[in-house]
Amino acid sequence: MKNRKLRNLDKIFHPKAIAVIGASTVPNKLGYVLMKNLIGNGFQGKIYPVNLKYRKVMGLDCYPSVLEIKERIDCAIIATPAQTVTQILKECAQKKISGAIVLSGGFGEVGHQDYEGEMKKIAEENDMAIIGPNCLGVINPYSRVDSIFLPMYKLERPQAGGISFITQSGAVGTCGIDLAAKYGLGISKFISYGNATVTNECDFLEYLLHDKRTEQIVLYIEGTKDGKRLLEMMTKVNREKPIIALKAGRYGGALNAAKSHTGNLAGNYLAYKAAFRQAKVIEAENLEELFDFVKIFNQPLPKGNRMMIITNGGGLGVMTADAIEENGMKLAEMELKTKEKIKEITPEYGSIGNPLDMTADASVDRYRESIEACLNDENIDGIFIDVLFQTPTMNEDILDVLNFASEDRRKPIVVTAVGGSFTEGYRKVLESSGVPTYGTPSEAVKAMRKMVDYSLKSKCRKCLIK
Amino acid sequence: MGMIEDFKLLEKYGFKLLPYALARDIDEAAAIAKKLKYPVVLKVVSPEITHKTDFGGVKINIKNEETLRLAYKDIIDGAKGKKIDGILVQKMARKGVELIIGGKKDDQFGHMIVLGLGGIYVEVFRDITARICPINAEDVDDMVSELKSNPLIMGARGNKPINIDALKEILFKVCRFQSEEDIKELDLNPVVFNDEGCDIIDVRFSK
Repeated sequence: MKNRKLRNLDKIFHPKAIAVIGASTVPNKLGYVLMKNLIGNGFQGKIYPVNLKYRKVMGLDCYPSVLEIKERIDCAIIATPAQTVTQILKECAQKKISGAIVLSGGFGEVGHQDYEGEMKKIAEENDMAIIGPNCLGVINPYSRVDSIFLPMYKLERPQAGGISFITQSGAVGTCGIDLAAKYGLGISKFISYGNATVTNECDFLEYLLHDKRTEQIVLYIEGTKDGKRLLEMMTKVNREKPIIALKAGRYGGALNAAKSHTGNLAGNYLAYKAAFRQAKVIEAENLEELFDFVKIFNQPLPKGNRMMIITNGGGLGVMTADAIEENGMKLAEMELKTKEKIKEITPEYGSIGNPLDMTADASVDRYRESIEACLNDENIDGIFIDVLFQTPTMNEDILDVLNFASEDRRKPIVVTAVGGSFTEGYRKVLESSGVPTYGTPSEAVKAMRKMVDYSLKSKCRKCLIK
Repeated sequence: MGMIEDFKLLEKYGFKLLPYALARDIDEAAAIAKKLKYPVVLKVVSPEITHKTDFGGVKINIKNEETLRLAYKDIIDGAKGKKIDGILVQKMARKGVELIIGGKKDDQFGHMIVLGLGGIYVEVFRDITARICPINAEDVDDMVSELKSNPLIMGARGNKPINIDALKEILFKVCRFQSEEDIKELDLNPVVFNDEGCDIIDVRFSK
């Protein structure tokens, strides 16, 4: 890590020892859940509960102050009332703790800007990285740090992977974690930063740029304090790692009393939209889109916009073809050798075109061979596989075929599976093994279009190596 | 700030405005029009009138002196009771695609630039896109491709595509103008583009 701020942040994500200030033995108290999660999640380092009231918390020695702890502490998680935080931070600084997470609320959001001013001063004078206040803090599934004070049985934790979340809102962060776990997405770092007093979204973007385990970044933002730096940082980071951004609080920003047309048309959201487009980051309009887009980015980037559709359900293929054209992409024209190869395995009543309709009696083997042929085809940049799992000839083996295609990595593939609970079951299996799977053709196509845009426009380093 | 001062400031930044001059009376207007060559436009210049068209304060496509004299009188009648600095005589703009070019200072991002379908339906269709200043040529290409009116710009119904270089030049200038003059809001609406270049028809900005 180049600068001290990033190094200090890194201590928060990879601490050898954590002090939990406000640790509690009373169930459902924040300091209780925190301790329980840290221990239950298998954090490998040392945990030091700090609370005047107790001598032991969950079997661990409890200290009246961090200053009483003899060993070195890398990170303090603070969950005490707002008015106590300044003093605690001063003690942390004295103890030379370089990183802290302040979970407590009761700061600028309720008019206590003064507390935040003090926090800033302590951070600057002592070279501390502080996340928060008024936030959920962080999860790092690799080091098992987890400051999210929501019980594990209520909020599933995602597996380790390559997606990092930066979120201003704790509530949206909570949903994000839960949904990521549900979709089987693996995360690298989760950061809920609340009031952004000392460290903000720009610092986290920069940190994640250097974080080797982060492959893509989700950014949920309601407002920034430094738009210019955000634009600059998004542009820089997005070239290395795709950013998927969601801006909330989009309406009500326009000055209705403005004298000019531009003043009337250009609310604050237009500026965010402009910045996203300028930085070439992928903008999601809502949470559904956010996860639709996140899912596809584990695939290799497409080299162009020529799309192939393989299906055993004619109509599904046709709808996908419509959506492809609507979204400004092209239907691929297969190479001759691909057509010949497919002719061998397709019955005469099937159609060897695009969509490639293998008909409802298509076997798993027919799928495997057609997919393989298309992966070898230089005229194809991406493949949509629209599977009707409902047909008699489909069985569990199709899951292996799709998984294999997803891991082939020559071209991006997406699976569309429309249907009820049986199909949903299959879809879940695919999702949890990282195959981008969608419930409708239009969702799948929209996601692919975002990846095509990223690949062709963002000038990302990976996009330029072709 | 008066229209003439606005024009002068824009010219300082290299915006090419349609030739114009301020007439104090009807004969002067006729003389200016003759010099500029018909067709011309007349616009009332008054510190008390912001919406010029509401008072019949704009007359366009005036092709000869006879019409000019009638139009001049109409404007003076319409603005009765208001303080008038004079009547602006300006060369009539070319025909083409009407775009709006706007600017605004955002609290977080600073000056931004807006491009959209211009004219009187701006706020009806809201076909606009924006970038944060400064911008580059690629940003302009992207903005153009993002507009729903893109086919108009690229030459619909047998028309030639508009002059994109002229668009780029004017957008770059608006960014520079905004930041150097610290403009709060700005409208160039409409700016008429064809394959050869563009004409700025109306200007409004505030600091």
